[in-house]
Amino acid sequence: MTSLQILIKEIKNLKPIPAVVTSLLEIVDDPNASMKDITKIIQYDPAITADILRTANSAYFSLKHPAETIQEAAMMLGTDRLVDLVMLKISAQVTKGTQKGYDLHEGALWKYSVSSALIAKQVAGQLDLPNKNSIFTASLLKDIGKTVLDKFVQDAFEKIYNLVINENFSFMEAEKQIIGVNHAELGAMIAKMWKFSPRMVRIIRNHHLTSETMVRDKDIAVVYLSDCICMMMGMGVGADGLAYRFHQQAMDYIGISAEDTLKIIADFTCRMEEVEGLLKVA
Amino acid sequence: MEHIVGVADMKVSNRTDDTIVTYSLGSCIGLAIYDPQALVGGILHYLLPNSAIDAVKAKSNPFMFADTGIPALFKQIYELGAEKSRIKVFVAGGAEIMDQEGIFNIGRQNYSALMQILTRNNVSIWKQAVGGYSNRTVKMEVASGNIYLKTSGLKEVRL
Repeated sequence: MTSLQILIKEIKNLKPIPAVVTSLLEIVDDPNASMKDITKIIQYDPAITADILRTANSAYFSLKHPAETIQEAAMMLGTDRLVDLVMLKISAQVTKGTQKGYDLHEGALWKYSVSSALIAKQVAGQLDLPNKNSIFTASLLKDIGKTVLDKFVQDAFEKIYNLVINENFSFMEAEKQIIGVNHAELGAMIAKMWKFSPRMVRIIRNHHLTSETMVRDKDIAVVYLSDCICMMMGMGVGADGLAYRFHQQAMDYIGISAEDTLKIIADFTCRMEEVEGLLKVA
Repeated sequence: MEHIVGVADMKVSNRTDDTIVTYSLGSCIGLAIYDPQALVGGILHYLLPNSAIDAVKAKSNPFMFADTGIPALFKQIYELGAEKSRIKVFVAGGAEIMDQEGIFNIGRQNYSALMQILTRNNVSIWKQAVGGYSNRTVKMEVASGNIYLKTSGLKEVRL
């Protein structure tokens, strides 16, 4: 069996993503969806509901009164934050472990995913993009491929590292060359298997902007930008370092200047404590 | 005791059982300075080259920027008895994403800002590990001034 065949088999054995994610993704950016529509979906999953209520009532959110139902939590937190919380919980389940091949200790990939999702949502809001909630989730789950590719990267690390250091390959170009598939492509296969929409699959597949035509997709550009910012800030950076390609055209296309980038970094730095708090409860 | 220097943070110490460490410097700069006679050291982990982009943030957290963080680091270790003529300077970080050119290259700007300040103040660098696409972690032992560097993809080394 080739590496690719083994990987396809492995992703088929992955635990399915809870249905609440795909159901929520269908309506989170629909301006006609009501709070009731959202809470109805969440309620359908009793485990998530109990978990969300426990978190909503933690000191982090300091609600005036404890929320006893999802509807109350939605009223007090707002549907946007409620949905974010569901997505954070579920992304924790799939990204929280250790990725030895990428030299990421326990929780590092998750922290980075959460950070990049928060940045992406903020930028999407600034740019007034209509899909800011699904951009948030795409950002959270974009590196899901790394969790499966990890042991292949570990086995082939010397070869991959050699291509990056000596042959000017980006880390994912080297993954593709040595293993036959890169983490973004593998992530897209997983997203497809989870029955994510073609748009979500496209964002995950192109989150490093490997194809020039994807530069002209604002949702992808925002997810890409937030990823670059995290790398520059050293978040979730492991053995792959910063060895990914920078595409200034994407920044130009969404109208983000170098100075805007500095400001986004400064703003996010001020939110780090809030993020640490959120990571503890979510 | 181990002191962890977070992002946009600084720690100094004159306790010989202390170590100071800063993790995961991407484009940020980790500036480690040490006086071997006074046995005083400190590390600054700053993110951005110039506080002019946000004076309010610079005031609430001077360690975010080169131009406000670097003077603060020197000032603090002078207060603990260090002297400029004896200070050993180690610099790490300032990495870049591949093909990140010009004004978008924050790592290079962070390093230039440091060099300007050091040159203006006649302070030279003892050793450095800057630029490239690597992520770095720096640790200092206060008793010896030994610096340990971990570069992504490689094992930790003592400099």
